[in-house]
Amino acid sequence: MGYLLGNIEQLSRYFLTLLLGGDTVEATQATPVKYDMDVVRWFTIMAVVYAVVGTLVGVYVAAELAWPFLNFDLAELSFGRLRPLHTNAVIFAFGGCVLMATGFYIVQRTGQTKLWSNTLAWFTFWGWNLIIVLAVITLPLGLTSGKEYAELVWPIDILIAVVWLAFGLNHIMTTVIRKTSHIYVSNWFTMGMIVMITYLHVVNSMAIPVSMTEAFSIYSGVQDAMIQWWWGHNAVGFYLTGGFLGIMYYFIPKQSGRPVFSYRLSVLHFWTLTFGYVWLGAHHLQYTALPDWTGSLGAAISLAMIIPSWGGAMNGMMTLSGAWDKLRTDYILRFLVTAMAFYAMSTFDGPVMSIKSVNALSHYTDWTVGHVHAGALGWMAMISFGAIYHMVKKLWNTEMYSERLVNVHFWVSLIGAVTYIVAMWVSGIMQGLMWRDYDEFGSLTYTFIESVSAMHPYYVMRTVGGAIFNLGTWIMLFNVVMTVRQAGAVRSVNAVAAKA
Amino acid sequence: MSDNQNSAGGVPTTGHVWDDDLGDLVNQPPRWWMLGLTASAVWVVVYWLMYPSIPFATSGDFFKGIGLPATGQWTAIKELAEDQAVLDAVRKPYEDKLKDMTPAAILADSELSEYVTRSGKVLFSDNCAGCHGQNGVGSEQKGEKFAVREQGLMAPVLLDDDWLFGGKVDDIHTSIVGGRQGMMMAHKDMVSDAELDTLANAVAAGNPASTPLFAEKGCTACHGADGKGVAAMGSANLTDKIWRFDGSLEGIKHTIRFGVNSGDPMARVAVMPNFTTAGKLSEVDMKKLAVYVYKFGGGQAEAVAPVAEVAAVSAVAEAAPAPEAK
Amino acid sequence: MSDHDKLYSTKLQDKIERNTLLMFVLTAIAVSVGGIVEIVPLFYLPNTAMCQNDPTCNNTQHKDLQGNAIPMDKIIWNPATSAHKTLDEWQPGDGVRPYKALELAGRSVYIREGCFLCHSQMIRPFRDEKDRYGHYSIAEESMYDHTYQWGSKRTGPDLARVGGKYSDEWHRKHLKYPRDVVPESVMPNYFFLDKAAVNVDSAIHTMNVMTKMPFNPVPRTIYTDKYLDGAKAELENKTEMDAVIAFLQSLGNHVKFEEGVNYRD
Ligand code: HEC
Ligand code: HEC
Ligand code: HEC
Ligand code: HEM
Ligand code: HEM
Ligand SMILES: [Ca+2]
Ligand SMILES: [Ca+2]
Ligand SMILES: [Cu+2]
Repeated sequence: MGYLLGNIEQLSRYFLTLLLGGDTVEATQATPVKYDMDVVRWFTIMAVVYAVVGTLVGVYVAAELAWPFLNFDLAELSFGRLRPLHTNAVIFAFGGCVLMATGFYIVQRTGQTKLWSNTLAWFTFWGWNLIIVLAVITLPLGLTSGKEYAELVWPIDILIAVVWLAFGLNHIMTTVIRKTSHIYVSNWFTMGMIVMITYLHVVNSMAIPVSMTEAFSIYSGVQDAMIQWWWGHNAVGFYLTGGFLGIMYYFIPKQSGRPVFSYRLSVLHFWTLTFGYVWLGAHHLQYTALPDWTGSLGAAISLAMIIPSWGGAMNGMMTLSGAWDKLRTDYILRFLVTAMAFYAMSTFDGPVMSIKSVNALSHYTDWTVGHVHAGALGWMAMISFGAIYHMVKKLWNTEMYSERLVNVHFWVSLIGAVTYIVAMWVSGIMQGLMWRDYDEFGSLTYTFIESVSAMHPYYVMRTVGGAIFNLGTWIMLFNVVMTVRQAGAVRSVNAVAAKA
Repeated sequence: MSDNQNSAGGVPTTGHVWDDDLGDLVNQPPRWWMLGLTASAVWVVVYWLMYPSIPFATSGDFFKGIGLPATGQWTAIKELAEDQAVLDAVRKPYEDKLKDMTPAAILADSELSEYVTRSGKVLFSDNCAGCHGQNGVGSEQKGEKFAVREQGLMAPVLLDDDWLFGGKVDDIHTSIVGGRQGMMMAHKDMVSDAELDTLANAVAAGNPASTPLFAEKGCTACHGADGKGVAAMGSANLTDKIWRFDGSLEGIKHTIRFGVNSGDPMARVAVMPNFTTAGKLSEVDMKKLAVYVYKFGGGQAEAVAPVAEVAAVSAVAEAAPAPEAK
Repeated sequence: MSDHDKLYSTKLQDKIERNTLLMFVLTAIAVSVGGIVEIVPLFYLPNTAMCQNDPTCNNTQHKDLQGNAIPMDKIIWNPATSAHKTLDEWQPGDGVRPYKALELAGRSVYIREGCFLCHSQMIRPFRDEKDRYGHYSIAEESMYDHTYQWGSKRTGPDLARVGGKYSDEWHRKHLKYPRDVVPESVMPNYFFLDKAAVNVDSAIHTMNVMTKMPFNPVPRTIYTDKYLDGAKAELENKTEMDAVIAFLQSLGNHVKFEEGVNYRD
């Protein structure tokens, strides 16, 4: 076992070579520091793969709602079982690999040091991927704990805790051994994420097992609901947002070659978000059986979160001030900046949905789903794509196989995301209005099933938008694979030349 | 590397440098943003004071907030009461009348029956259409996916003029208030295969009384000597070729063999839930539904009778205990 | 590498940025506050259905129209004071009760199939939800729901009060092939539930676990030894379809709500 662990890096490098052909290359640095970048390469590749898989499953579940025959009478393919596979695949497989790739990449480069433990990083890599494989097996089998975004069964939960701690410890210890005096802002956000997610995961997953695959939450009803949405919202706030803000703070300045717009804004952005976001969970539970105070508490701070969030978005965008012309030629920057626009949009949409009277309409409808995907497709996925392209070039020390395809990917993603989001906003608002509409006699105007039928065209539109977005991820996969192969080939040629 | 004073437009950086060229400028956050942040903090405090937000117990309860300037303390239930009041104001003139009227009388009043038709739509669709189909067209189970005992209509069609339990508006009302559960025992141990064949063929032909077996096997006790059914029992009319269940020869044989709600595991099951015990619908709702269903067009005309007669009929209907359904 | 001494924020912030441990500790403190304020009071404030092992559930207070406290055993079934002493005798309106064996088994299937991703079980206090689904839900109604099932999306209708709305036979047909009953439905076909037997051991085990929960366990005065012993026989030869239907039929009719009474705060 010790031997295996010791050689985990060599083994992995071997597999990578086998898979992609050619030899892998050490990144070259202006400052001659040797970093542990192989594990980052692998996380990057897997992120690309999971982007394809996760959104593909998304398209499939979207299609199931449009054309229910696609459930094919198979338990394993039914909507109720595949939907969690989609959310887990995009959030934890795709999002997780992006966060770990960029986390390890940024913490090394901004600290000018190797990882605290390369072996632990490899353990994280294999552990995380094992979790994903287990998720792909267990979720369609219906093994679930029944909590949104925390569906995986308890033995996997324990594994998640272990692997997450390995990641967190390594990241934080690498910050400790950094060579720079100050910790870079990206790493603040990543640290916030590490602390909060650990805390949430442990508290929310508390359950008593019935068997190896089934367990029931120790909390019930009202308490369970609050703890679940404390988790649910902060998985969004610290993982899908905080973690990705860390990415933003590194890759926007790097890609544009300009310093962060305002240091003070970074500081305020970080602390207001870290302190404030935690309170928001209760906005998922307004008007439910919780006492009124909980919802109001969450709603008030949710509205107050617009300003801190927009501060962050502005900090990203303004970093480009004076360099806007770069957007014409730099497709990677387009991804990054568009992501900031969507970040601003979804952090406006979210607070609006927290207002009592709006939530009364939007809750339970597709509006929520539209909001989710404005954040997920527009913000989280776009910023990831930008970061991935940037890293691929640096990690393999090469240009992209095709810059034009990066541009195509950008437009395809944008069109797909907008189609999806518009469809859901329209259907969500329509659904909400239909449910509550009364005619002049004071009678409900629409039956429930009329609202179901009315959603059909929008479910089709969402499926189309999603498919377009998914197409983009295939383009990225192709482009990245070709780039890596090309880098390997160049390296081989150089190696031969050098020998000769 | 350079001196890292990577300044833009003359603004210096803080001087910290990471990864060769990362830095941050000393720009102040824009003024509007700082003001916004302060306003947000104030907003939170004000909101918390106005709405019930502070989870401290005060005399066994939590602090409810000082309330809004215009409307006073806010609670979700108060909001509900206010919204409900608006609705009730619209409904009241009608509902007040409906409370004391019989379904038949409602039917006779054109304004009220218009009101009832409107409010019946969602009531019917969300509560009844699952079994009786949208607008009472019925929903049918057919094909290989369903066991033989399941073939046929889920529940009777309500827009035709074929009624198991009677089609007067009060009969319909009784069906809803008390639920319905017709019973036909299994005959599998009473009839030989040959007898079954004869019976089923006669029934399928729409002329059950053509075979003496119909009386001998006791069918007439429920379906009447002429096979036209007895509304009090909900037994089907076997002469009209309108089939409640599966009308194929096999289907009819199955019904005869295993019965309806007979307790036999192979029996057809036909339960109309009791909407009174389910507690989902108010008494007025059930009256509305009776009229609504009646107005699908299949209602039996005698029900629209002079008011005095209607009152008498409905008095009888109310006196009769509603059939129990489980 | 030169270290610039000029501070652009505060001394504390500068210190934090230089010290990983300090940043870690302060971050941990910052992220704790909101959660503690929102979650902890739900474990002791009134009307949160936090009964622990106290069968009278003193923490919960509802007042009738005259302002008198409604006795808790009108809301939560208490076999000691109720006319109906056992789970099998319990009648709708007796108050919130734990699930019976078959219902609990059905609930596990409900969770497994992800029904909660399309169906909510939480009626909000709005007039339209009242007209559509019935009386708004209250905290006590989900107090025995370990892993609550409120849901967050209504692709299908709310199910909090679906019990008794349809017959068992209807549910059987609908769950098997929803579109044969409701042509516009987008719900998956669940005919396979009719073919699978209830996992008896797992169901019994689940009942035992429910009595051991640290918060709101099922009292042993309800899941008595006798009841648990009898459960096995009750579950033999039942299909998962039977179980889900039993679960659905158990939803929503536990409490007898009085018109006009405020059951929330
Ligand atoms: C669970 C399925 C189900 C639901 C829900 C249901 N019904 Fe029925 N209904 C039946 C069945 C089955 C019968 C026939 C009973 C029998 O055959 O014994 C029936 C019979 C009737 C009858 C008598 C028909 C006749 O031919 O005499 C009327 C009227 C009726 N239902 C109206 C309604 C209304 C109105 C509602 C909604 C409030 C409703 N039903 C909801 C299943 C249902
Ligand atoms: C105990 C009373 C009873 C007896 C005896 C009885 N039936 Fe029935 N039968 C019913 C009832 C009630 C229904 C309608 C069931 C329903 O829709 O709920 C019915 C329905 C039927 C149907 C289905 C009609 C349709 O529209 O699909 C057939 C066929 C039938 N009976 C034939 C027979 C024959 C033949 C016999 C004698 C062997 C018989 N019944 C004896 C009560 C009885
Ligand atoms: C893809 C979404 C989806 C899933 C998953 C789903 N349902 Fe449904 N369900 C619907 C829709 C849409 C309706 C409304 C149309 C209809 O009655 O079929 C519905 C209706 C129902 C109804 C009737 C409610 C009423 O009041 O009319 C019940 C009961 C029900 N579902 C139970 C379940 C159970 C149990 C499961 C899991 C085993 C489940 N559903 C899974 C979408 C879904
Ligand atoms: C091709 C792109 C995608 C498609 C077609 C798609 C489709 C869907 C569908 C159909 C649902 C279920 C909605 C419902 O129940 O009504 C869903 C839910 C969800 N998806 Fe996606 N998705 C895509 C990409 C993503 C990405 C990249 C993320 C990243 C985080 C994401 C996160 C989520 C989340 C969090 C939910 C749950 C929403 C909720 O419960 O309200 N999706 N998606
Ligand atoms: C300040 C910022 C934000 C606020 C105040 C906010 C608020 C909300 C609100 C009110 C809901 C609906 C709750 C309900 O009615 O059920 C919601 C749902 C959701 N939001 Fe946000 N949001 C914000 C930002 C984001 C971002 C940036 C993302 C994504 C990356 C995101 C992801 C989600 C998800 C996944 C859900 C669905 C939860 C569910 O399953 O029901 N949110 N948010
Ligand atoms: Ca007939
Ligand atoms: Ca959700
Ligand atoms: Cu949230």
